[in-house]
Amino acid sequence: MSSVLTLRLAGPLQAWGVSARFTRRTTETAPTKSGVIGLLAAAQGLAREADLSALAVLRFAVRVDQPGRRIRDFQTAHHLDTGDSMPLSERFYLADAVFVAAVQGEPGLIADLFEAVRAPAYLPYLGRRSCPPSPPVEPAVQHDALLDQALAGEPWRAAEWYQHKRRDEATVSLSVLSEPGGDVPVGATGADSWRDQPLSFDPRHRRHALRTVVTSTVTVANPCARTPPPTRPRPTVPAHDPTGPLEGV
Amino acid sequence: MTDRLILDVHVLQNVPPSNLNRDDTGAPKSAVYGGVTRARVSSQAWKRATRQYFNGRLDPSELGVRTKRVAELLAERITALDPSIAGAQAWAVAAEVLRTATGSKIEPPKRKVEAAKKNGDPDPAPESSYLLFLSARQLDGLAELGVQGAGDIKAFCKGKDNKARAKKIADTRHSVDIALFGRMVADTADINVDAAAQVAHALSVHRVETESDYFTAVDDRNSGAEPGAGMIGTVDFNSATLYRYAALDIDLLERNLGKGLDEDESPATPVRRAVEAFLDGFVCSLPTGKINTFGNHTLPDAVVVKLRGSRPVSFVSAFERPVRADEFGGHMEPAWARLADYIPRVEGAYGDEATETWILHLGPVTEKDSALGTEVPSLTRLVETAGAAVAARLERRG
Repeated sequence: MSSVLTLRLAGPLQAWGVSARFTRRTTETAPTKSGVIGLLAAAQGLAREADLSALAVLRFAVRVDQPGRRIRDFQTAHHLDTGDSMPLSERFYLADAVFVAAVQGEPGLIADLFEAVRAPAYLPYLGRRSCPPSPPVEPAVQHDALLDQALAGEPWRAAEWYQHKRRDEATVSLSVLSEPGGDVPVGATGADSWRDQPLSFDPRHRRHALRTVVTSTVTVANPCARTPPPTRPRPTVPAHDPTGPLEGV
Repeated sequence: MTDRLILDVHVLQNVPPSNLNRDDTGAPKSAVYGGVTRARVSSQAWKRATRQYFNGRLDPSELGVRTKRVAELLAERITALDPSIAGAQAWAVAAEVLRTATGSKIEPPKRKVEAAKKNGDPDPAPESSYLLFLSARQLDGLAELGVQGAGDIKAFCKGKDNKARAKKIADTRHSVDIALFGRMVADTADINVDAAAQVAHALSVHRVETESDYFTAVDDRNSGAEPGAGMIGTVDFNSATLYRYAALDIDLLERNLGKGLDEDESPATPVRRAVEAFLDGFVCSLPTGKINTFGNHTLPDAVVVKLRGSRPVSFVSAFERPVRADEFGGHMEPAWARLADYIPRVEGAYGDEATETWILHLGPVTEKDSALGTEVPSLTRLVETAGAAVAARLERRG
């Protein structure tokens, strides 16, 4: 049987790039598998050249609890010798987002990863170094569990203001992006492929493979929902018959 | 992992109308957090300001030099060690040593070679194709190696031992700024240095709207016939109470810097000096964007420094709900109250181990606040105390 490790990934800024190259550093709308595996590998203190296979085989899924929005940052740099401007670089971030990421694997490894995230060997960050998590990444282990069930059972982790904004909904449905496995939910709405299956983080030849991502939704309770659920009286429109006053004219 | 060491720094700072860090439209950078727009100053901008601050505080020998003209720089040192090696010979020796140590291409730029040929000038000096960032101690070590092998530098550098020595010099004893902020070498990942410092984007603790200053400038030689403004324009700005956060991985810093080798000082001295320089530099520095337009030179109102044993903690989510100005106006007091309330809560919830905390605060600190940690009266004391605590823990660990 397997265990599942869940992580709450929240912070003012996050950046999860799949095709970040040269001067344009993009972000996807949700954490990538390579980003999260990187976070776990760094927590364990693995060197960049280290063999990733034990972590790369973990089944991965992420739930979008608060989608946030994309912001664009641009950066200038000056040449230190000549003072000339260097090419402008563009960086994209996800601001104000909250995710629950989960990996499923062999119980011993999951327990090790749980401890590693609580006392990480390298400083943790959400996809880009200038994006520390806040509050701290909250790891939790579910034993004898499967990925999608584990994510379906997690309470809604969005910020309170966001939950409050949707207070008219007693339950909300959240998207889950998961790797296909034994328990893909029947209601899956589509499959996509992302190039974020990490093969090596070695800076000399960083390599990623394609990975199938299945999108589905789970429904969770909204703790900020109004009780009882709103039964807004329909505004009653007064009968309006413009021909009435004309009668007898 | 009881002997892990992490230092984190939390700063609350007021900045009056200013434009510290602007985007491509000239407006101050912003981000959305907690559903409202905040002022933002990018981590890159603040790291650069911190590095600039080091120039005034640290001896040049403790700082790195980032240049393409690294062969000339090394050749100067070689000549200084052995005056018989000079001019083009010193360049050739320097270039070969650098090639061996860093794995990068070091050759005269084609454009300069052609220009020299045309003008009948002597050959130009070799350069690296991108900026190489080396510490003074690394340059000294490489210069010594160059002098030793100057007889036949190519054969000398081919020797297995010498090759390994050259690589090792480029890979150890980094300068303070390289150890803190890292180094990337495009051709050779071997000598990359992982930054020990992590700096977050600074965010305002409250909702911020960008304002626009409309200005007119009068032409001093205006005639009565043309009485209008000589120039009109706008400058965007905002004012903010910023929360700034940085974390230092002390263990990585120690690996990057190495232990002190002088017998009359503690092995922890290099780390201690780097921690002190970083604390001082991060707290006091300010990005210089539009600083002559707005004159926004401020210093923080509150600084909290924590030395921890497990993981760093950013307190930015204390401000996810934007702070509102209190009844007397101003965001600083309510921001401090929010922080002082949040710190024990987050540390209670996530369990915190042997953490030492120091607080530097301009306003009166209440009894409740002083339960957060040890109050220190000045930045100098804060820097010294934190530096000494880091050194003490490193020494205890051995």
